[in-house]
Amino acid sequence: MTRRTALAGLLAGTLAIAAAYGSAFLPGPPPGWAAWALGIGSATVMVASMALGAVREGKGVGRLKWSFAFVFVVLAGGFCAVMALPAETAASPLFLGLPLRAAIVLIGIGLLPLLVLPVAYALTFDDMTLSEDDLERVRAAAKALRAGAGTPPHADANAAPPVPAEAR
Amino acid sequence: MTLALLQTGAMPKLAQPAIVAVAVVYFVIVAAIGAWATRRTRTASDFFVAGEGIGLIALTLAAMSATLSGFAFIGGPGLVYRGGLGAMYLVLPAAVTASMTSWVLAKRMRLLGEVRGLITVPDAIGARYRSPLAQGLSGVAILIAVIGYMATNLLALGLVIDSIFGTGLRTGVWIGMAVVLGYSVAGGILAGVYTDVFQGTLMAVASVLVFLFTLKVGGGMGGISRTLMAADPAFLGPFGTMGPGAALSLFFVFGVGSMGQPHVIHKFYMLRDPRRLKWYPLLVTCALLLTMLLYFGVGVAVKALVVKGQLPALANPDDATPIFLLRFTPVLLAALVFSGVAAAIMSTVNSFMSIGAAAVTHDIPVALGMRTKNELRWGRIATVAISVAAAALAMLPGALVAFLGIFGWGLFASTIVPALGFGLNWEGATRQGAIASISVGMAVTLAFETMAYFNVYSFPTGVTVSGLSLVLSILVFFAVSWATRARAAEQIDPDVRLVMSV
Repeated sequence: MTRRTALAGLLAGTLAIAAAYGSAFLPGPPPGWAAWALGIGSATVMVASMALGAVREGKGVGRLKWSFAFVFVVLAGGFCAVMALPAETAASPLFLGLPLRAAIVLIGIGLLPLLVLPVAYALTFDDMTLSEDDLERVRAAAKALRAGAGTPPHADANAAPPVPAEAR
Repeated sequence: MTLALLQTGAMPKLAQPAIVAVAVVYFVIVAAIGAWATRRTRTASDFFVAGEGIGLIALTLAAMSATLSGFAFIGGPGLVYRGGLGAMYLVLPAAVTASMTSWVLAKRMRLLGEVRGLITVPDAIGARYRSPLAQGLSGVAILIAVIGYMATNLLALGLVIDSIFGTGLRTGVWIGMAVVLGYSVAGGILAGVYTDVFQGTLMAVASVLVFLFTLKVGGGMGGISRTLMAADPAFLGPFGTMGPGAALSLFFVFGVGSMGQPHVIHKFYMLRDPRRLKWYPLLVTCALLLTMLLYFGVGVAVKALVVKGQLPALANPDDATPIFLLRFTPVLLAALVFSGVAAAIMSTVNSFMSIGAAAVTHDIPVALGMRTKNELRWGRIATVAISVAAAALAMLPGALVAFLGIFGWGLFASTIVPALGFGLNWEGATRQGAIASISVGMAVTLAFETMAYFNVYSFPTGVTVSGLSLVLSILVFFAVSWATRARAAEQIDPDVRLVMSV
């Protein structure tokens, strides 16, 4: 996945939510598709935001694509499933003590991403988020800025600082 | 999440010796931490960003404490009692939000802070776009939201103090304000962070223990579900009694909007070693979910107890937690939770004090081309001024205070998520796009919330002002950036570009 794909997903998800909100202003009750658009749109915006933050120039999101795909399926699929499944009765079976659709919401949407996202973040941190080399490059830039500008930190956060060629 | 605004009604009286004693011990510990932090606060950097010197555990607990206010313990369970599963959509995104915020903002803000010595969230916006105007607008939005939020939180704190000590509401508000102000002015964010560590631990432990009691009293999760399914099938339906539009709108606003909460993301500047961010999402997500157990458990258990006739129907849904604790848990645990409520509110107020003071002494002056000399001293003065203003606002009628608090989340989200969250990850974003997005977010939120309050105009069911303002600010951000894309490259300084490329 590239930055362009993530941005396209972000925009598409936002437009889906905008359409859902817009439909509420039409006469009569909200159309049936609005809730679907809101659920899928929200899942898309969240996953696209993560991808946008994770994408590295020339490398895409690497193996994180599986984590993001899984979470998109859990979120969007979960919302779609609870809207499509029939309502439970008092005698319906329970899953971990909850009616099926409540279990999908609480355990699927509310809990499953915890088992994947933070772990994926930690496991890919060194090579895809912040390596020692990355940190050294940024620190060299900061050092050069302070030495070159001769001003203390946060003296002028908007000023264009000098950055040495080796730090670029 | 940060929604103490719903707690504007009186709580049951809690003035029992054990509860008072635990509350006194709690306040003494907070005061001791404040005194310790005061000795370590010598510069503006110490005051606003803890001298960039806190560890991972402190960051985790401080972020968790700042995210949760008393709403998680009082208003939230009340909302579940009233709205069923639909009320869970406020907290449902918690399994995703910390990871999302980490990928989008944590690393880049921390590195930008190191390169530029930044101390505020608007600082990052100003640096990203080389725009004092964008920084100033963001500072104004934060200041407006902070004062409203603080007023609602101080009112909630006053209610808790009145319930425990019988001080009366007004006195309770001023006592609460004075306690938080005492350690915030003296010890700055450093005092806030380390009281948050204590408070966050307290909140998590209390939540887990109370959840275990809800299961025991309610006959296990299965017993609670069977009772509720027989009496009110919609209650545990996928959207409770809210309907899909309203519930999913909450999920969007509290999910995506979480990236724009300055009192939380501001803490990324404070982490001593940025490589420790590796474990941040895992730790903070676990801490958040543990603390949310009470939110869900008490809401459904009290509803089941009412259905079974073991409790009378609640006149005020916000009484769900106090009544459950006083009737079904040991008094020591009840005392711990009530102190936890105060802890949650105080940690949120402290964070707001810090970012509000920074907006006054740092961000708005930058926009006006001014420079504040001795930011530490003026930061302390601004903290006092903002706190007194917020406490005075908290004295207004409850509905008006709640109205002020409603601004907060949506205003933060719509003015920060596109400009900072997406802008730090997309070189095509432009200064014009950021300024337009912040302006639209601010205008839509303030205009429509005000119209709704005065009954001039209200959105249809399922559409929230905060949701619509966030959507519009994102779309405006993309549209204006696209229209002005020819200038995008020239608006990024080399060091900022370096941070964005890492």
